[in-house]
Amino acid sequence: MTVLDNRVVTPASAEEAVDPRDPNIRLTALFDEGTVRPITPEDRSGVLAAMGRIEGSPAVAFCSDARVQGGAMGTDGCEHIVHAYDVAVRERVPIVGVWHSGGARLAEGVESLHAVGRVFASMTKASGVVPQISVVVGPAAGGAAYGPALTDLVVLADEGRIFVTGPDVVRSVTGENVDMRALGGPEPHSKRSGVVHVVTKTEADALVQARRLASLLGHQGRVRPDSVEEVDFTAFLPESPRRAYDVHPLVDGLLDDPGLELHPKWAPNVVTALGRLGGRTVGVIANNPMRLGGCLDATSAEKAARFVRMCDAFGVPLVVLVDVPGYLPGVGQEHDGVVRRGAKLLHAFAEASVPRVTLVTRKAYGGAYIAMNSRSLGATRVFAWPTAEIAVMGAVAAVRVLKRRELAACPEDDRAALEAKLAEDHEKIAGGLDRAVQLGVVDEIIQPGTTRGAIAALLAKATPARGAHGNIPL
Amino acid sequence: MAEVCAEMVANVWKVVVSPGDTVAEGDTLVILESMKMEIPVLAEEDGLLAELKVAEGDVVQEGDIIAVIR
Repeated sequence: MTVLDNRVVTPASAEEAVDPRDPNIRLTALFDEGTVRPITPEDRSGVLAAMGRIEGSPAVAFCSDARVQGGAMGTDGCEHIVHAYDVAVRERVPIVGVWHSGGARLAEGVESLHAVGRVFASMTKASGVVPQISVVVGPAAGGAAYGPALTDLVVLADEGRIFVTGPDVVRSVTGENVDMRALGGPEPHSKRSGVVHVVTKTEADALVQARRLASLLGHQGRVRPDSVEEVDFTAFLPESPRRAYDVHPLVDGLLDDPGLELHPKWAPNVVTALGRLGGRTVGVIANNPMRLGGCLDATSAEKAARFVRMCDAFGVPLVVLVDVPGYLPGVGQEHDGVVRRGAKLLHAFAEASVPRVTLVTRKAYGGAYIAMNSRSLGATRVFAWPTAEIAVMGAVAAVRVLKRRELAACPEDDRAALEAKLAEDHEKIAGGLDRAVQLGVVDEIIQPGTTRGAIAALLAKATPARGAHGNIPL
Repeated sequence: MAEVCAEMVANVWKVVVSPGDTVAEGDTLVILESMKMEIPVLAEEDGLLAELKVAEGDVVQEGDIIAVIR
């Protein structure tokens, strides 16, 4: 199963240049200056683990030693990782894994497989208990691919490669000719597979992003509503309610500083981002009308569901920005499991015990209305802007179904006028924001210019809570 | 060269550019209509609009090429 070059690399002699694969160098770059302290011996195991601080908060990390058998995982190296997990769980601090490894050590045979399996078990037991972040800086194959995959967040540097079986095996089995980059590099993993949450141009930036994530999850802070400055979001929406727009400026404007977006290129019709509001870490989930009109589909529901469950597990409050015309229709979607995969988002929100606020900015239609943290799923509070519209479907589309016979019986010349009148009547009884407020599915209509303060005040007084569950990689 | 493709089934509501135009990343090429939404299709890189494969009123399927930028 190990597909990479497993030759023993001669250790660099003292006078040779510094080897960038030295785990000491990588761990030193990850932690705050002068805080790193090894917690496993420096040996030939292929793994070094350490404790230190990240932006002032304690954290544990381990790193492959790619100078030894390409960082392959043997019994001793895996023991080091399990030890690092034991320390992180005991101390209740985030753990970061820096990966550059060809997978299990071939020479150790089934013993190494057993050891790798024990690492997986440790990761799974720690899931939802402490934040787990993986940084892939070189090849991570076989067992070294599933290690990161079991963690909460995966950061991939430009030279990082993640795959189960490498190009040689793929070629011999399927005849497909592909190199490591095309098989498991930044392009496939950022756009197609959803394996990677954050892609960076350099290894140094990958470590910086891992530090941001560790700080956001490990040092969440408290909401200080007094510190929140208002932004008037009125101009953030286009004049026409039908026109699509990019939701990113809205997400970033809601946060104190631009957020750290996860999976930006995979399922881009829903945006998931971590950031701070009033100083406290929050998770933002937002429909992006610019992509697929903002429709939910199988992949975006799954992406959002995993994000909701991660935030819930670590007690990160959620802010949900809703502008969704529905679930994406189509044979492809149905056969792709939009029912099963869409259900994950319903489950994730309904299960979440963390404070979670919904803001309907424009439209919330149909099943997607329910899925986007509606009142019925247990939202802590549902706000709406005056521009919001909540309905099973658009009024015109609804009367075309409900009043089909009446419309068919009408002379063709008068049909458009009748349709408009029926739609107006329908809106009065079935849709409209006032009706949603009466029913209590919207708690309060707020202005775009008072939104940041309203959400911050609510989160400040909400009872902190976190879900008692793991974060299975949905 | 970059092919700009339709992300979903849609009607071509408005065509904003013509073949031969110089376009910059982020420019609107055409506006699609689907799910009661007007969805702009943007250029993903700078270049010359070499081909425009759709006209107003056309129906595009997911994956159909809308334009080619060189």
